[in-house]
Amino acid sequence: MKANLTIHPRARLNIPPLVWILLALMGIAFVVAMARYISGIGAISDLSYSYPWGFWISFDLFTGVAISSGAFIMAGTVYILRIKKYQPLLRPSVLTAFIGYTMVAVALLVDLGHPERIWYMLIYHNPTSVLLEIGICVMSYLTVLAIEFSPVAFEGIKWEKTAHYIHKFIIPFVILGVVLSTLHQSSLGSLLLIQPTKLNLLWWTPFLPVNFFVSAISIGLAMIILESSLSSRYFKRGLETDLLDSLAKAIPIILVIYLILKFGELAWTGNLGLLFTSSWMSGLFWAEILIGVLFPMIWFSFKRNRQSPNALLFGAIVLLLGMILNRFNVSWFAVKHPDPLYYLPAFMSNVNYIPTLPEISVSIGIFAAGILAFGLAVKYLPVFNHEE
Amino acid sequence: MIQHKAFLFDATRCIDCRACMVACSVENNIAMNKTRIWVAGEGLMGKYPDLQRATMVYHCMHCNHPDCLSACPVGAYTKRLDGPVEYNGDKCIGCRYCMNACPFGVPHFDYDKGIIEGAFIDKCTFCPQRVDNGMEPACVATCPTDALVYGEREDLIKEAHARIAAHPGRYVDHVYGEGENGGTSYLILSHVPFNQLGLPNMPETPVNEVSEKVMEMTIPFALTWGAVLTGVTVGAALYEKNREKKEKASAQEEKEENK
Repeated sequence: MKANLTIHPRARLNIPPLVWILLALMGIAFVVAMARYISGIGAISDLSYSYPWGFWISFDLFTGVAISSGAFIMAGTVYILRIKKYQPLLRPSVLTAFIGYTMVAVALLVDLGHPERIWYMLIYHNPTSVLLEIGICVMSYLTVLAIEFSPVAFEGIKWEKTAHYIHKFIIPFVILGVVLSTLHQSSLGSLLLIQPTKLNLLWWTPFLPVNFFVSAISIGLAMIILESSLSSRYFKRGLETDLLDSLAKAIPIILVIYLILKFGELAWTGNLGLLFTSSWMSGLFWAEILIGVLFPMIWFSFKRNRQSPNALLFGAIVLLLGMILNRFNVSWFAVKHPDPLYYLPAFMSNVNYIPTLPEISVSIGIFAAGILAFGLAVKYLPVFNHEE
Repeated sequence: MIQHKAFLFDATRCIDCRACMVACSVENNIAMNKTRIWVAGEGLMGKYPDLQRATMVYHCMHCNHPDCLSACPVGAYTKRLDGPVEYNGDKCIGCRYCMNACPFGVPHFDYDKGIIEGAFIDKCTFCPQRVDNGMEPACVATCPTDALVYGEREDLIKEAHARIAAHPGRYVDHVYGEGENGGTSYLILSHVPFNQLGLPNMPETPVNEVSEKVMEMTIPFALTWGAVLTGVTVGAALYEKNREKKEKASAQEEKEENK
């Protein structure tokens, strides 16, 4: 008798190279984070007594929360204003926000000195603290987003009844979500209100929270364009150009409001003169206005640009870069702490802050995990192209 | 009235001996690579023969309206009625917002400690273990020239103005800390402009004023905004229903007409 020697090929997972890269970045971030937990924040970062907040806060918290603002805009439009044609954009934006806020939470667990005590915000309250409001809003909103996204997950595992049941009670959560988002998107601006002597007066105005809220709306719209465009390219699906066109139409309107606010406030505080100094600060201010406001405002005013997928993507990226520069300016570049050489011995001082490579790699790793999670969710759950 | 204690530092009396630093570290058992107090100065100023030196003992200002306290999300800071601003490590989550908020850059953080050892904020405590037992804070008790004195805040302000009045040519005519940042419990007299001692120019309103006002508006705003959104939701739903009804009715009319 002849033995059957045929070797059956094992089922092989076909992992695309992009995923390998993302996994590698996540691995690096994990190792660096472990080093931080064992030997302290100083071991991996350049944060110091004079620069207590740096790259992590500017990138993970300020940028992360801002780019997750699409969800409350879309949920509000579809469920509160009942403009149902935007339904196809709702799920991807809720997914982005859910992943985005999870990334914020994970990053804060690296940045906090006592990550195991993050829940203390729920039991110890200091009502004058802006950070407490942000903490509580972000925790609650993450829960709301999980509820808003859960029907998609249930549909994915074919529990249509459960999905349908949750869907029935979604509206109160949508309203709660919009209120929480309004609060913490603006409160990220309020976080800097306590630094009138440290933050450059081009950015410090009592209306910082209003600026933050208005710009968050434009960022959210740009993010929806970005994620639809990129995923349509990567997964080779059709693009909702008509919907994106009408979304993009709103961007110039919001940016005009933002522009009036920004310059109106400077006129009100009497600091218009600071715009025309030869310092770095004027340059940074003009850079964020030109890239994040003026250019996209003009770009999206042309119908031709709004109807071409490439032009839409380009405009969204430029807007996001400019607005991210704004978040970095407010939380980092324009903040001047008192000169530590006066109040600290030289061995405790650090006059300049330059983020270290390990510090940045933590943020990159978390971002990579977010992209991977988005990709997996889009691939296995009915995020795009679902029936309503 | 409750007693409100304070320090008075006179820069003209400081001889830069740094005995206060040693006394503080010994009293509070501070590690060699850290300190809660620092003697700062610009070294020699001016041109020979008009040379001048000025040094400043820098530690927590124990503000009357502390910004660290205002910023801390979990309330790890407290302001004692008799002056000291105290920090409670048991509540601290290590967010370092207090360091950001403090306009004087006072709180320090243990960047060299992992989560097992526990990384905390450190700053001058006003030596409550001594003060509560009727002694002066360690830095004051050790000062050989009485550049640092301790006492009732009201009395010290009077004393400071009396010194300025007695030697008008010697001092800058201002008591730093009397009004700065809403008043501090660390008062400073100087013969050189205060920014040469490393002290920031501060308004008389505490820096937390605007942020606290905004925080007061938060809950009323949230409730109003929630109510408005609920109203809009109901309104939009009713409008939609109405329109559907009308469409149905007109469709039916058309049907009947066609019959």
